[in-house]
Amino acid sequence: MKGQHKEVLFGLYNDEEVLMSAIRKANKQHLDIMDVYSPFPIHGLDPLLGLEESRLHVVGFIFGMLGTLTALIGISWIFGGSLMFEGDWPTIFGGKPYWSLPAFIPIIFELTVLFCAIGMTVVFYIICGLGFGVNNPILDDRITDDKFCLAFQTSDLETSAVDNLKGFFKSTGAEEVHTRTI
Amino acid sequence: MKQFTFEAKQKNFLIATMGLGLLCLILSYFMEPEQIAESGQHARFWSNFLLNAVFFTGIAFMITFIIAAFTLAYSGWYIAFKRIWEAFSSFMLPGLVMMVIIGIAVYAHVTHLYHWSDAEAVASDKVLSGKSSFLNKNWYLFGTIIIVGVWIFFSRKFRQISLEEDKHGAEAADFGYHRKLRKYAAVFLPIAAFTGPAIIWQWVMSVDAHWYSTLFAWYSMTSWFVAGCALTIMLIIYLKSKGYLGQVTKEHLHDLGKYMFAFTIFWAYCWFSQYMLIWYTNNGEETIYYFTRKSEYPVLFFGNLVINFVLPFLILMRNTTKRRYGTLFFTAALVFFGHWFDFFYMIKPGVFSNAQEAMSHGGEPGHEAAAHTAEHAASFVSGFTIPGLLEIGVFLGFTAFFIFWVFKQMSKAPLMPENDPYLEESLHHEVQAYE
Repeated sequence: MKGQHKEVLFGLYNDEEVLMSAIRKANKQHLDIMDVYSPFPIHGLDPLLGLEESRLHVVGFIFGMLGTLTALIGISWIFGGSLMFEGDWPTIFGGKPYWSLPAFIPIIFELTVLFCAIGMTVVFYIICGLGFGVNNPILDDRITDDKFCLAFQTSDLETSAVDNLKGFFKSTGAEEVHTRTI
Repeated sequence: MKQFTFEAKQKNFLIATMGLGLLCLILSYFMEPEQIAESGQHARFWSNFLLNAVFFTGIAFMITFIIAAFTLAYSGWYIAFKRIWEAFSSFMLPGLVMMVIIGIAVYAHVTHLYHWSDAEAVASDKVLSGKSSFLNKNWYLFGTIIIVGVWIFFSRKFRQISLEEDKHGAEAADFGYHRKLRKYAAVFLPIAAFTGPAIIWQWVMSVDAHWYSTLFAWYSMTSWFVAGCALTIMLIIYLKSKGYLGQVTKEHLHDLGKYMFAFTIFWAYCWFSQYMLIWYTNNGEETIYYFTRKSEYPVLFFGNLVINFVLPFLILMRNTTKRRYGTLFFTAALVFFGHWFDFFYMIKPGVFSNAQEAMSHGGEPGHEAAAHTAEHAASFVSGFTIPGLLEIGVFLGFTAFFIFWVFKQMSKAPLMPENDPYLEESLHHEVQAYE
């Protein structure tokens, strides 16, 4: 999407309840909402916007399993004695066999958690388009503070449709209406 | 429907199941496994009685503890079904009666459930005489009465304040009843934290009188709590199917499911911490506990882990399973049985070896007792190495007794609490928007 500019028409609301009723109205009129910005999570917003459940936890599970396997195979490779490994550096701890599962479980557990946490964080950054060198434009600074924003993309719309959207904002109680190119 | 009515049909069914349980309990008095039959201790009967009395009294105690903890933590979501937990908590009264029966039996040495109750054995045993200031028949009986008595006092107070709040809460200024409840809860919590473990050491851990573990109380109290959650889930789903508890929604059950899931993991954590330290240290008097259980009671040892950790962990991991009544009910039933099974695993092997010891005390030559042990190692003993049909029957009977008591208590007050400051929060409880 680099280099492609979007024109955005957005309205700022003072209250999340007003915003919610505006979204309900927009849904009724089949307006194509680009996004909604809010300083805090709003209860019941996701189903209104038709968002699906995040699949991030599936990623977490896969990375967790990866961590489990890494730990298990790593330990087996070092100490040997099972899982077809000869043992790179077999060591006896407390008179136990080289390969003794109960002693490995804490490490397996820790690596599972580590892989899961790091994997989920990285994937979360990627799917949200965050990270080093990424500059995400903010429509208005106050939506990180006390304003609730409803935004429509107007790049391909005709003037009459844009006017219609402006009328919509006015009728639903938006405090301010702005346009920006991002 | 605000008011729960205990229908005659339910009553009859529960009484019939209780009758079945009583029959099985009486039968287990006479059907002693042959390996320990000569001891004349009726160990199967007494251990069954102890197992179920401890299990259900413990659930009631743990739910009382959770009511106090939730009250102090400003937790509001559970208010919609708090009447059920109050009813659970009142089961400590029959629980006390059952434990006193066992206490008297131990006092009079009618049963050899606990090795330390044998004065002769204690005198010649350095470890047991060292522990005798705690493990003795006086403290067992009177300690039980005092401690459970205190618990019952608080449990009744919680219930009483909650019922008064229903009637007069609206006039009370500044949430007076809730503040009163918080005061009692704050006093109860530290008491419960110290007396709970103490009583578990007495009731359960001391069946293996020579062995001890500092983590044991955590482990078994978690077991009680998970079982309590599971039973709550099953009862709520049942009552909802009968048209009661409209105020309790999927969201509450989702959170209860989360509690069950989280404490299942915590239980496994405790179990493993206890196991790994003992395994690693390899201290003879400690490892013997796990050695006998692993080699002679493999069904209990491994079955316990599968039912209580592997299965619920995998089933409850996904969100959707906690929000479907069918899956949740199935898992709750599994886990409820599983934690009874866990107590079975804690109590039965110890009682079995105590009965064998009693046998060798009874004049039988030592080597013959040793031969019995060897024979036992190679075979399954119904009622000890695996739960037999009688044990299952007794378990069902006690469950029916518990539910009967709970229903009786529930029918005494409206199911929908009023004037609780957190009621509105509970009614609007929502944890997840997606289906």
